[in-house]
Amino acid sequence: MKFKNVAATGAVFLAAALALSACSSSTSSTGSSTAASTGTAAAAAVVSTPDSSLTGTITAGGSSAQANAETAWTAAYTAQVKGVTVNYDKSQGSGGGVTNWLAGSYDFAGSDAPLKADQQTSSQAICGTGGGLNLPVYLDGVAIIYNLPGVSALNLSTNTLADIFALKITTWNDPAIAADNPGVSLPATAITTVTRSDGSGTTQNFSNFLSAAAPSIWTFPPTNTWPIAGTSAQKGGSGVVQAVGAGAGTIGYADHSAIGTATAATINNVAFSQAGATAAFTAGATTVPTTTGDLSQKFDYSKLTGPSIYPIPLISYQIVCSTFKDPAQAALTKSYVGYVASSVGQQIAQKNAGSAPIPDSMLTQIQATLATVK
Amino acid sequence: MQSAPTSSSGSAVKTSSTTPLGGGGSNDSTATKRSTRVRPGDFIFRGLSTGSAVLIMVILAGVALFLIISAIPAITADWSTNSQLNTGPTAAFPNFWAYVGPLIWGTLWSAAIALLFGAPIGIGIALFISHYAPRRLASILGYLVDLLAAVPSIVFGLWGIIVIRPFLLPLSDWLSANLGWIPLFGGPVTTTGSTILAGALVLAVMILPIITSISREIFLQTPRLNEEAALALGATRWEMIRLAVFPYAKSGIVSATLLGLGRALGETMAIALIISPAILVSVRLITEGQNSQTIAANIALNFPIATTLQRDALIGTGLMLFVISLAVNSIARLIVNGKRGKRKKGKDKPSTPGPLSTLPSGDFASATAIDVVAGTPRIGVSDIEGPTPEEDIEGARY
Repeated sequence: MKFKNVAATGAVFLAAALALSACSSSTSSTGSSTAASTGTAAAAAVVSTPDSSLTGTITAGGSSAQANAETAWTAAYTAQVKGVTVNYDKSQGSGGGVTNWLAGSYDFAGSDAPLKADQQTSSQAICGTGGGLNLPVYLDGVAIIYNLPGVSALNLSTNTLADIFALKITTWNDPAIAADNPGVSLPATAITTVTRSDGSGTTQNFSNFLSAAAPSIWTFPPTNTWPIAGTSAQKGGSGVVQAVGAGAGTIGYADHSAIGTATAATINNVAFSQAGATAAFTAGATTVPTTTGDLSQKFDYSKLTGPSIYPIPLISYQIVCSTFKDPAQAALTKSYVGYVASSVGQQIAQKNAGSAPIPDSMLTQIQATLATVK
Repeated sequence: MQSAPTSSSGSAVKTSSTTPLGGGGSNDSTATKRSTRVRPGDFIFRGLSTGSAVLIMVILAGVALFLIISAIPAITADWSTNSQLNTGPTAAFPNFWAYVGPLIWGTLWSAAIALLFGAPIGIGIALFISHYAPRRLASILGYLVDLLAAVPSIVFGLWGIIVIRPFLLPLSDWLSANLGWIPLFGGPVTTTGSTILAGALVLAVMILPIITSISREIFLQTPRLNEEAALALGATRWEMIRLAVFPYAKSGIVSATLLGLGRALGETMAIALIISPAILVSVRLITEGQNSQTIAANIALNFPIATTLQRDALIGTGLMLFVISLAVNSIARLIVNGKRGKRKKGKDKPSTPGPLSTLPSGDFASATAIDVVAGTPRIGVSDIEGPTPEEDIEGARY
């Protein structure tokens, strides 16, 4: 009994020590990354220096795609502004985040899709006549991952990709795939497409791409839930990555920052890179015109061609009120989102969450919009 | 099963607490004297327990009301023209019933497969614990099975994804190759293992604790006299179980199974993680594109992105699940109470098993206590030849 107690106490101490060391290491790493980014901030175009005297709590939630970036932003931001706590709940998903934000419980929502027209209307209840503002702060790519023993590099053209996910191509040695991969010997394995079973911004972005880039093959409207039965549908991006890894002849799509060690195919001979995603934003994204300074983006996928542009980008937004009910929360949220939408903030997400930086021209527009937020 | 004896023993404890055990004569007079004074403790406790009972009714009614009120807009809406309902996950369905129908099927189908695997094993474990295992092993095993109930379902889900799905792949391939002509094993065979078979197997493990612990309690309550009579007539252990234990425990086994079914119907996370779902009616077990989705998992997967009316539709499916669970539990109660009601009428005595009937009818507390004491050694019965020393002593009491 005594020994047990001693052992238990020892275990507690050990756990405490581990926790402490984990704490200190994370603190030091954020410290260093902040320091590093402050160093580069001098050269960066968009600077947002948070007021370190602010105090309070920012409550937010939504998209799980930007969750890793939110963690990095929060750590870096609260290191500078010690009095502020940022709580971002990624378990809500984009839709849940917007729902909670519309109910008035969030200061901002993270969402992979901008507000729909009816949501924009109902947001006037909490935001005044200006409604909500969609601010694109997170950029990444949809990666096409596959598991085909013996094939270590795979290229797919847009049409072949659409054919595969529309279940029109069902074996790996199909002539269309062979034509995309000259010189590669493809097995006769059946193709299992792995998709999301839950609603997802990744699905939304991927089906945006499919319906715009291959409209004759992909006849379904863009949607956040996979429209075709007969696939292997998995919960969450990690579920897709797991299932693709577990089966032979599988192919699936996932947020690029979440694919881990899975093998990604090149699309039209372009592999994903952070620079490629940023280039896609610069080349194809246009702001949907509004009078409020809202910055919803629409991609013209026909412009996303060329060896340095990744054709399936993924955007995630932070959605804030144009007029907050509480001016104190407005100041806090503006400070945090302003930090996120600075060159420094984008570099932190790039480094810690693997996302691509939003181009400076867009960051400048976000800062301009934020300046109008009351 | 237990409710009647427990409540009666509770009141008996109150009246006989000051009198020595078995003092039936003086019991009545003491009880009347005590009952003339109302103590504040009595009053408060009675109020508290009545309040709790009322509260649970209010909560249940509140949940039912919430489900019905929230579901009505989605049930009455025109799904093909409504802009909130003809997009996303509900786009393919003309109305609520077309949406919920396959989900009800999927819920019942996966739970039925889980029961098919889980019920026999659960009852087997219970029988082993109550009648076969040595006492030490029995208590350890019982503890372990109860521990299974404490594992969170998301852990079962991850276990299903990482262990069970790959484990079942060779079996799926074999079944598809050799028995693919049976509709159950038809369709394109899975490559990732994300099948309803894998989900239902994990579900079977999850319902084991419920089925086992209830069946075990019921097996242990088999009247000793019946068991001993069967053994005395030359029955082997198996014959004794078949002749004495099973007939006695039949209704209990049914209710244990139905309670397990209730658990399986409502399971969410494990199913959502393991099975690759589609909203369609299918009996196929080893495909990944044609597994019927369950109500609970569908709610979990679609709630975060639902529009207002889609959320109402999901709540409507929840209402259906509520109705199904209510029906299953009511059937379980009916079966148990029906059997008991008959027995009570026939015997005109409390049907509490064990040596209770041989004791003074006023003294339930001590009778139950003796019953419990007499009941526990039965776990330890390990030899087939005859009664153990404890049983001899106990026998002398009659």
